[in-house]
Amino acid sequence: MRFMVFVRSSKPVAALHGDGLLRAGVLLDAGDLVPGACGVSGYWLIDVRDAEEAVERVRRIPLPACVVEIRQVAVV
Amino acid sequence: MGATSVHRTIDAVWRMESAKVIAALARYTRDVGLAEEMAQDALVAALEQWPVEGVPKNPGAWLMTTAKRRSIDQIRRRENFNRKVEEIGRDIQEATPDASEGVEDEIGDDLLSLIFTACHPVLRTEARVALTLKMLGGLKTEEIARAFLVSESTVAQRIVRAKKALADAGVGFAVPEGPDLAPRLASVLEVLYLIFNEGYSATQGDDWMRPELCAEALRLGRVLAELAPKEAEVHGLVALMEIQASRAKARTGPGGEPVLLLEQDRGKWDWLLIGRGLRALERAEALNQPPGPYYVQAALAACHARARKAEDTDWQRIAALYQVLAQISPSPVVELNRAVALSMAFGPAAGLALVDEISGAKALQGYHLLPSVRGDFLAKLGRTEEAKAEFEKAAALTRNEREKALLLGRAAACG
Repeated sequence: MRFMVFVRSSKPVAALHGDGLLRAGVLLDAGDLVPGACGVSGYWLIDVRDAEEAVERVRRIPLPACVVEIRQVAVV
Repeated sequence: MGATSVHRTIDAVWRMESAKVIAALARYTRDVGLAEEMAQDALVAALEQWPVEGVPKNPGAWLMTTAKRRSIDQIRRRENFNRKVEEIGRDIQEATPDASEGVEDEIGDDLLSLIFTACHPVLRTEARVALTLKMLGGLKTEEIARAFLVSESTVAQRIVRAKKALADAGVGFAVPEGPDLAPRLASVLEVLYLIFNEGYSATQGDDWMRPELCAEALRLGRVLAELAPKEAEVHGLVALMEIQASRAKARTGPGGEPVLLLEQDRGKWDWLLIGRGLRALERAEALNQPPGPYYVQAALAACHARARKAEDTDWQRIAALYQVLAQISPSPVVELNRAVALSMAFGPAAGLALVDEISGAKALQGYHLLPSVRGDFLAKLGRTEEAKAEFEKAAALTRNEREKALLLGRAAACG
């Protein structure tokens, strides 16, 4: 299952220590979004077995104060 | 958090942490079997305690600490190893992190050692596969059994025997170096590709694909690529799996029947995975190492992936790549694939000539794709009666029900 992890933070995604996702073999893509009113936002696209794993994977990232939203990608 | 929710969290944590826990324990105990047992003990403890006490703040560190403590207890019970116990036990206690400190992510070498140990050539192929999925994939015995359509007791026995074989052979827990590295790495890659292929083209059962096996092989391949970034063949295998996996949704029709590559709706291909596969291929090329079989196969898959329409496929390049593959990894199956490429590049007669040349090969006897391919060439040449007989022969040889139906359909179409 694929999950999109949206991160709203003052830092770009590359500075958010998501290396663990890469080393775990679950990171498919990552990038920054155009800055919005609430600060810079970015995303990780991960491929994991279920929602619980997605949450646990993100929980292990030492994120600074920020808003995280995890959404499952629809299968067409 | 309800009990069901806690159990789902435990499952997720186990899948994520078990390989790291086993790898770290194996480094201290020098016994992969013991390490796996103690990690399982820690899992049982988690299943007992977490639903009552709640999931700890750092569940990975909790599992690691619990498993290490149990290892110390276990080793201490072994009377004949008292001296060793003191040494190892002291090492473990000194190195055991407090549960609040978190599990170190930097255990790449341990994980790599575990991969090489689980895939050691001293083990039979099915044992290597089972051990890899169990110790590195974090799959339960029943999940492995279900994936390979064998009984749970069969998988359990394979794992027990594998651990015993490793102990009997005195296999060290280390990353091989020097001349040992190439054959050991080849064994690892073989296991990963076997797992992927069993998921991609199931050899038994009603379903043609078992996506969970593909996903696990792909994930382990990506992990390996980060642990061994200077090995071109690792990137080659990852590229091959990414590109092949990209076609998953296009490979079956609405009724679950297989759809052949050239007839697939390329709009259903996963272009994200294709992009990843092409980048992995570039990483392999950048290392400037002699081409290995996985790299060449990935380059072949990339030829198809780059063609937006089937008729845009560069068959001459594919035929040339099969020639390279036949040199570095000669086999009648490669020749059979080369025959298909020759037929597409230069016409069915060119393909048929090569097929007839290799049809006596022992390795191809009983291989359903030989009559299937020959039938295809004959049909294109208008020799329909011979083609029909070949398709029927192929249908009788395959063990996959979906593929059998496809071949019988082609036979019927010959009139």
